[in-house]
Amino acid sequence: MTWYLVRRVGQAIVVLVGVMILTFILIHAEPGSTARAILGLKATPARIALFNRIYGLDKPLYQQFLTYMNNIVHGNFGTSYQFQQPVSTLMAQRLPRDAVLLGMATVLALIIGIPTGIYQALRHNMVIDDVLAGTWFTLYSAPDFMEALLLIALVCVQFHWLQPDFPGDITSVGGLLADWRALILPVVVLSINTVAGFSQYARSSAIQELASDYIRVTRAKGLPERLVVARHVLRNSLLPIVTILGLTLPDIVGGAIIAEAIFNFPGMGLLFWQAALAHDFPILLGTTLVVGVAAVVGNLLADIAYGVLDPRIRYANA
Amino acid sequence: MRKAQRLIVIGTALALATAVAACGSGGGKIGSGTTVHGKPIRGGTVTIAEVGVAPNLVFPLLPATNSNGYNTDLTEGSWPFLVYIGDGAKSSVNPQESLFSKMTWSNNDSTVTIVLKSWKWSDGVPVTSRDFTFMFNLLKYNYNNWLGYVPGLFPVDVKQVLTPNSHTVVLDLTRSYNPEFYTDDVLSTIMLLPQHVWDRTSQTGPVGNYDETAKGATAVYNFLQTAGKNLSTIATNPLWQVVDGPWKISAFNSSGYYAWVPNKNYSGPDKPYLSEVEWTPFTDDTAEMDTLRSGTSLDLAQVPANDLKQLPELEAEGYDSFEVPTPGAAQILPNFWPAGSATPAGPLVRQLYIRQALEDLINRPQLVSKVFDGYADPGNGPVPVIYGQQWDSPLEKAGGPYPYSPAKADTLLKDHGWKVVPNGISTCTRPGSGPSDCGAGIAAGQPLQFQLLYATGTASFDQQNAAIQSSEDAGGIHITLKGEPFDTLVATTGTCNQQSHTLGACDWQLQQFGYIPYSSLPSGAGNFNTDAIGNYGGYSSPEMDTLINDTEYSSSSSAFFRYEDYTAQQLPWLWIPLQAGVFVYKKNLAGITPTDPFQATLNPESWYYVKSGS
Repeated sequence: MTWYLVRRVGQAIVVLVGVMILTFILIHAEPGSTARAILGLKATPARIALFNRIYGLDKPLYQQFLTYMNNIVHGNFGTSYQFQQPVSTLMAQRLPRDAVLLGMATVLALIIGIPTGIYQALRHNMVIDDVLAGTWFTLYSAPDFMEALLLIALVCVQFHWLQPDFPGDITSVGGLLADWRALILPVVVLSINTVAGFSQYARSSAIQELASDYIRVTRAKGLPERLVVARHVLRNSLLPIVTILGLTLPDIVGGAIIAEAIFNFPGMGLLFWQAALAHDFPILLGTTLVVGVAAVVGNLLADIAYGVLDPRIRYANA
Repeated sequence: MRKAQRLIVIGTALALATAVAACGSGGGKIGSGTTVHGKPIRGGTVTIAEVGVAPNLVFPLLPATNSNGYNTDLTEGSWPFLVYIGDGAKSSVNPQESLFSKMTWSNNDSTVTIVLKSWKWSDGVPVTSRDFTFMFNLLKYNYNNWLGYVPGLFPVDVKQVLTPNSHTVVLDLTRSYNPEFYTDDVLSTIMLLPQHVWDRTSQTGPVGNYDETAKGATAVYNFLQTAGKNLSTIATNPLWQVVDGPWKISAFNSSGYYAWVPNKNYSGPDKPYLSEVEWTPFTDDTAEMDTLRSGTSLDLAQVPANDLKQLPELEAEGYDSFEVPTPGAAQILPNFWPAGSATPAGPLVRQLYIRQALEDLINRPQLVSKVFDGYADPGNGPVPVIYGQQWDSPLEKAGGPYPYSPAKADTLLKDHGWKVVPNGISTCTRPGSGPSDCGAGIAAGQPLQFQLLYATGTASFDQQNAAIQSSEDAGGIHITLKGEPFDTLVATTGTCNQQSHTLGACDWQLQQFGYIPYSSLPSGAGNFNTDAIGNYGGYSSPEMDTLINDTEYSSSSSAFFRYEDYTAQQLPWLWIPLQAGVFVYKKNLAGITPTDPFQATLNPESWYYVKSGS
């Protein structure tokens, strides 16, 4: 297992450096003047030159890249051109809030999706199975902005039950949780789309498990159906869910741009979007790196969890 | 507080699409927009919505590389400009709110003597001429790193500053100016700074006279800019608590939220009624509109342009509304020097008759009514006319030189040798440079067609440009549309002129990105004079240069109208309507209107709540 982990970490570093090189080249291949995008239409040549000097954009590309990598190694993600703040500060403000929002949405989706999927498997090919599957797929295929706007129209505008936006004076995770009512709608909207995935993976996996020989044996031995499901079917059906959860980590870190925009929740998604529009390279590179790390870590955690959940998997021999 | 500075900085469709402008006089078409009569209540909080970028610097002299115009919104309540523009519904100097009591011009308008009012800083120290020289010295040695610097103007046009006494400042300028221009467009961009607190090079270092040397002034300037960028201390750093304006910053967070409380020692005339003003950020229009419709905490907000039809619902939620003209001019830019085209458009747009035909085919009244629901200036020329201000020439007020006229466009084109094909491609049949020929550089058979590059993201722009495309096509001028995000458009297009029209940055033919914001005096300086930084399409006319110079340097009152009418007729830009802003505010809030329409003013020091039913 240790050797496996060492190998995976080594691979991860190579992958991340590759991602950085590719991202750096792609970003700098973008046409147009960064200084002009930031300073606006009336930027004078002197002002553009000053901007390029301050941010090192007047240096050769390879030199810019080496400087950037050196700064990264020293924990310096650079300074945002448009926000004029360290990228690490901007991400540190947004990432925890996104983690809370998207983490809660994922947990809610799991809480709904897994039991529903198992239940559907137990009622395989019955009317209730079709109804639930149809419901999840309908919600899954509906655009999340539409779901968000419909919910706001109903819950906030029509009945005034909840507020549609996060108050602007809240920045901390504590403040976010204290104003928990503002979290309800975005968490619901974000979970709607993921419930379908979790439930259908759980369903198909459980169907497979229910048809297994060892389940027949447990039933033949007289184990109550409740225990068959809880002890055997559920645990073994979770394996594919673990994979999905691992792949969800970069999504949690990367933010949810549409929900962030609609619910006035400035997070990583909006930060990346605004940076992409404004040629704000330090933010683009910083968020890409963080999402890349999350993807690698998520996969690694999924692999480790596999080993824990299924003792037949032996990474040491891989 | 005035928002024009922000507009100057952002200056674009971005601002139009977000929260441009501010309060102004009621347009009369919507809501009552009138001041609520009743007994003012002392105290209360007003929450204002701001959509888009958040402030990121509290030091009011912005560095050249910080183009976040929202910073001026943050600071102007604490350090107001020397000259306060906006007197009720009039776009003129407000003597009560300004920091000077008297301004006298002499020496053929090359010397201005400014007598400061006997105001005090919030810590009780008098405001003096030393505070002016402190600000001047910082800029004198650092103007290249000041966002407000306009080449050739303040502070490089100041030969010397004299302070004969503690309340008098004499500016000896390098040349004569039109006093109105200099007062409205230059002195209205500078503020006094508390020398007795800010003249230091570190947070804990002693206060001195560092600003009097180049090295010291740069050290102070750098220190203040660095300290001002520290978002976590904006509301707590003692430096920023010494103010001469009506408000102090009491809260700030990095997401853009900030709050003001009254400066209890404010010396000015309007002592705030409110106990707090909160500026709350919104990620985009949708979030703001949802909040308004849910009838929650917002007291004042701009209604997104695409949601104006929901005004009745907002009024049912307890809001009143008013229209605010946008202080600027909207345009389609012709590129007189486009590069890299197989069929160059430069020779086409250099022909005045072709620009006239293009303008004749823009149905501006229809755009105002159908695209902008009536909330727009008609775009008769370079100066918007719905303000009803002193700048509107009779020609512009009468509808401008080019009212919608397809017949006139048809005649113009045929008279110059074009075979006009409505809804098709018209071609030149009489090449040459004679008075009845197509014009120099236009070959036989050259098609009369252009590509219009425009900024996407605003639904009204899409509608407007589709309508223009349709009406031009019907008149025989073929337009193809190409949309790009605003930032991409800004980054990939450049200012193109005879000296510089490089391939890539100048391959556009027609461009529409929003509008150009005006300072107090809506002159063409910086936009239409030869090689000006805002003259993106490279228009050049010696007569235009002379007329613009007259508006800046001559005191003649007729100079402005001469400039205005010439510009309207010559079409360095194609004029199009400029969308106005519509604001809503809680019905029990008073004192918001009227405000100066040309400066787009929010001045919460004059706002107050009234008892319901009073």
